[in-house]
Amino acid sequence: MPEPVVVAVTAPLALALAASLLGGRRGRWPGLLAAAAVVAAVALLTRDVVAHGPVRHQVGGWGAPLGIDLFVDGLALLFLWLSAGVGAAATVYATAYFHDDEAAGAFWPAWLTLWGGLQAVFVTADLFNAYVGLELLGLAAVALVALGGGRAIGAATRYLLVSMLGSLLYLLGVALLYAAHGTLDLSRLAAAAGEDGLERAALAAMLAGLLFKTAIVPLHAWLPPAHADAPGPASAVLSALVVKATLYLALRLWTALPGLATAGWLVGALGAAAVLWGGLHALRAPRLKLLVAYSTVGQLGYVLLAFPLLPSSAAVAGAAYQALAHGVAKAALFLAASTVLRAAGGDRLDDLRGLGHRLPVTAVAFGLAGASIVGLPPSGGFVAKWLLLTAAVRAGAWWVVLVIALGGLLAAAYVLRVVGRSLAPAHAGAPPLKAPRRLEWTALALALASVALGLVAAWPLALLEGLAP
Amino acid sequence: MGELEALDLLLGLALVALAWRLLAAPDLFEGIVLFVTFGLLLSFAWVRLGAPDVALAEAAIGAGLTGALLLDARGAMPGASVEGPARLRWPVAVLAAATGGVLVAAVLTLPAAPAGLEGAVAARLEESGVAHPVTAVLLNFRGYDTLLELGVLWLAWLAVAAAGPRPDPRPELRPDLRAEAPTGPVLAALVSQLVPLLILVGAYLLWAGAHAPGGAFQAGAILAGGGVLLRLSGVPLPEAARAAPVVGLGFALFLGVGLAQAAAGRRFLELLPAQAHDLLVLVEVAATVSIAAVLAALFAGRRSVS
Amino acid sequence: MTLATWYALVGALLAALGLHGAVVRRHLLRKVLALNLAASGVFLLLVAPGARGPTTDPVPQAMVITGIVVAVSASALAIWLARRLHAETGRAALPDAEDDRA
Repeated sequence: MPEPVVVAVTAPLALALAASLLGGRRGRWPGLLAAAAVVAAVALLTRDVVAHGPVRHQVGGWGAPLGIDLFVDGLALLFLWLSAGVGAAATVYATAYFHDDEAAGAFWPAWLTLWGGLQAVFVTADLFNAYVGLELLGLAAVALVALGGGRAIGAATRYLLVSMLGSLLYLLGVALLYAAHGTLDLSRLAAAAGEDGLERAALAAMLAGLLFKTAIVPLHAWLPPAHADAPGPASAVLSALVVKATLYLALRLWTALPGLATAGWLVGALGAAAVLWGGLHALRAPRLKLLVAYSTVGQLGYVLLAFPLLPSSAAVAGAAYQALAHGVAKAALFLAASTVLRAAGGDRLDDLRGLGHRLPVTAVAFGLAGASIVGLPPSGGFVAKWLLLTAAVRAGAWWVVLVIALGGLLAAAYVLRVVGRSLAPAHAGAPPLKAPRRLEWTALALALASVALGLVAAWPLALLEGLAP
Repeated sequence: MGELEALDLLLGLALVALAWRLLAAPDLFEGIVLFVTFGLLLSFAWVRLGAPDVALAEAAIGAGLTGALLLDARGAMPGASVEGPARLRWPVAVLAAATGGVLVAAVLTLPAAPAGLEGAVAARLEESGVAHPVTAVLLNFRGYDTLLELGVLWLAWLAVAAAGPRPDPRPELRPDLRAEAPTGPVLAALVSQLVPLLILVGAYLLWAGAHAPGGAFQAGAILAGGGVLLRLSGVPLPEAARAAPVVGLGFALFLGVGLAQAAAGRRFLELLPAQAHDLLVLVEVAATVSIAAVLAALFAGRRSVS
Repeated sequence: MTLATWYALVGALLAALGLHGAVVRRHLLRKVLALNLAASGVFLLLVAPGARGPTTDPVPQAMVITGIVVAVSASALAIWLARRLHAETGRAALPDAEDDRA
């Protein structure tokens, strides 16, 4: 049997090919198989890492720096679990979401390729290999957005251009680092790199490219339309997972290479702007999916708030846990919002009245996941924000505390916009809504998981604590 | 590498001037033609840098196919080549100048001694199954990159050709989507002469890749060029060129070879030196076919599908 | 100055020019042109420093061949999207802001 780390990457890719050959809605079978394989592989990988410490796999048997190494530690595992869990839920959701063969036939290969690219980025130790993984993931994401048709074509175009620009900036930094040190392996670079001008220029270019692709304010304008106009399951994986790949690489680079440590406040300030900006726009968004997309802009900002507090372990844990908790809750919100959009034929906020009676399971899912986004105890979002607050207080960074508090208030206000309307009585004569049960319950399962992440936080955090370098 | 000569100074300056000019060209057609010229000059620069493999890829793919795709698209987007006022011109100019300045400074601080991996590549070249260092890196030492890259190429085809929208409103009524070709006697004669030649050149490049500059990507691009010519002259591409099994072949085969090693108890993509040559030839042939099919299909785009 | 330094400098300038053009130009095909120029600049920066020794480092050469194929894939997708956008809206540029559309 291939090792679990290999299966985690190659299973979705091989099954993407199978889905493309089968075509149409039959792609759901390779899809479900990929979900099973990825979850099993990540579970086995976790067992290995807990038993023996971080896993390193030399692809081709050459070993870095000549070859490419894969590397999985606690931080990588956290992101792999996010990808496995949300990916599996989105897969199940998608089996009931697509009616027609043409849309399904385009969705399955693109989604499974995206999944493989995502896993490839989370497990690679090689900076150029990460670039190829990001491109695979990025083009697949654009293809998924374009599936929305009509208005989504413009959003997909903008997304692709931003993605290409971000990738080039990243590659610019890779070129400089390779020219100086002759290796692309992150741990070797960490051992060799200093803090001279070249190093800083390289890191700045890579970080700018990665943050561009993560939609950090003021480079965020492409995200809300792209995430809001994509088909339902695609919206969920774009907002919950795809932006996390670049964030993960940024976190890895920042903790491995010290060159920019003094500029952490700048990244933190961008994060603060994102928290406030995203929150304010979510308050004004006229459509449910757009509201959820703006919420992503804000929630990603929290992760950046941790950068000036690094490398404290509370800050690493806070950033990683925020990425995890947001991913699970945001996937639940997007799946719930897409169910509403499909059942009601539109998702204007004013038409949501009475949702609590008309689609109760979906309304509950939205409320629970919303609570995690706001950061209410005992949810995963609460733990993440608590860790960030702890790190900020320890470092005496009171402005971070203030931003987290304001961001929480904004999130509470925009979640209440939705929940308040759902609980209001429906318009007279509003038709009852129907949605396939699988759509409703997958969103609820993810919403419950987003709350549970607060109750079982000790386990993932131990993984992170014990194994982070 | 060789000494810096006046030729290099001229070539470098010409590249920068062409880039400037083609971005500022008021007419898009002129811009694209200058871009193809830029690509050809860049190929010379690659040769000067001792990178003939890159030169081949640049000429065939960078300048050739990208230029053809752009020209074709320009023709299909009539009346839209007017450029509006540039936005954020000055702030972005300042940022770009700063980026350029930082990069120049960084380049000038690079130590004179190379820090690369030529030594490591040379030391293990014999185990790789091919004699040409660039091909060894591409297919074996960093074969995993190439595998994912074949995935990118396959995905681009998928997105363009297969992941169609709910069909465009009546494609047969839209002139830009009609597979109409400007066939004339000259073009037809040219095509009948050129296509066999391109197939020969492609086959040679594929064969040469094992020990000299060349390889699957360059060969595939040349073959795709033949496909593009056929399309331009109105010859319909065979259905098979667009069918999933062909375009996914390189990706699937490489993935399969990699997983077979892992299933046999070795690392992913870890080829036994004794088998490496044969397996890599197999992968290269499959990759060449896929690359040619994908690139030609990308050019044909939605027209051939509708 | 050496051959390696000279072409690395050319690469730096091309990258900056291309990135600038990709942002300020509005026509989608011009943006694709500019991004391809920027990519060429980055590729030169990858390979040229490897020409400091007696032979040119093959590893960045292989990376650039990978990069060229990735770039043509992304360009093809961008060009196709631009054509669809033009077919549907008659425009070849993206609107300025489409954030808060209902």
